[in-house]
Amino acid sequence: MLLFWSEEHIEKWCKDWNLSRGEIITLDSCYRLAQAWYSPDRREPEWRRRTIDEAEALFVELGFTSSFWRLPEN
Amino acid sequence: MDAEQAQIALDKIVRHHVYDYVMREGLPPTITETSSALPRSLAEVRASFQRLADGHILVLQKGNGEILMANPFSAVPTPFLVKAEDRSYYGNCIWDAMGIPAMLQQDATIEASCGCCSTAMNLKIRNGSLEEARGIVHFAIPAAHWWDDIVFN
Repeated sequence: MLLFWSEEHIEKWCKDWNLSRGEIITLDSCYRLAQAWYSPDRREPEWRRRTIDEAEALFVELGFTSSFWRLPEN
Repeated sequence: MDAEQAQIALDKIVRHHVYDYVMREGLPPTITETSSALPRSLAEVRASFQRLADGHILVLQKGNGEILMANPFSAVPTPFLVKAEDRSYYGNCIWDAMGIPAMLQQDATIEASCGCCSTAMNLKIRNGSLEEARGIVHFAIPAAHWWDDIVFN
């Protein structure tokens, strides 16, 4: 997940790396994702990774609703 | 306590140590440091690191079993330098870099750059909020494949 100056810079980067364009989100959305993902204290014994359903629910809550954000079944 | 319960209990102790250490020191602990601190044998710590990596909690360096990533922290320099109140850290990506002040509950400045042209792009977190700044974030790999190659991702 990289930071870019503009969409034009993303287009150039994708071309240079021969990659399809993925999903673009705003800085504010990324920060809300980071806050939600990393605020729970990982030092605590009861901490655990989110389940697939919990992670997908968070993505939906943040407005990430396309198939890009679907996680694999374990 | 059976063997499996003992492993789960050890993994919680190791996870606590890893995150407590990296939040204090800026870099994750080594196997040797963790072994001395807990104290547990090198083999026990190495096995615990591996179980935590299998559970996608840590990412290990190939070959030596040392920590490469204790998300959101990186053990090696990256283009995402996070300067918090009294310590600097490296994030694995922009998502992780933003996650470091969230985890620390501290203000921070993220010294990053454009993935295309390397133009410096600094972001500031103040009082839990991201100050307005130019930039957008690109996720190249669909979520279903993030762990296929987490280092590239």
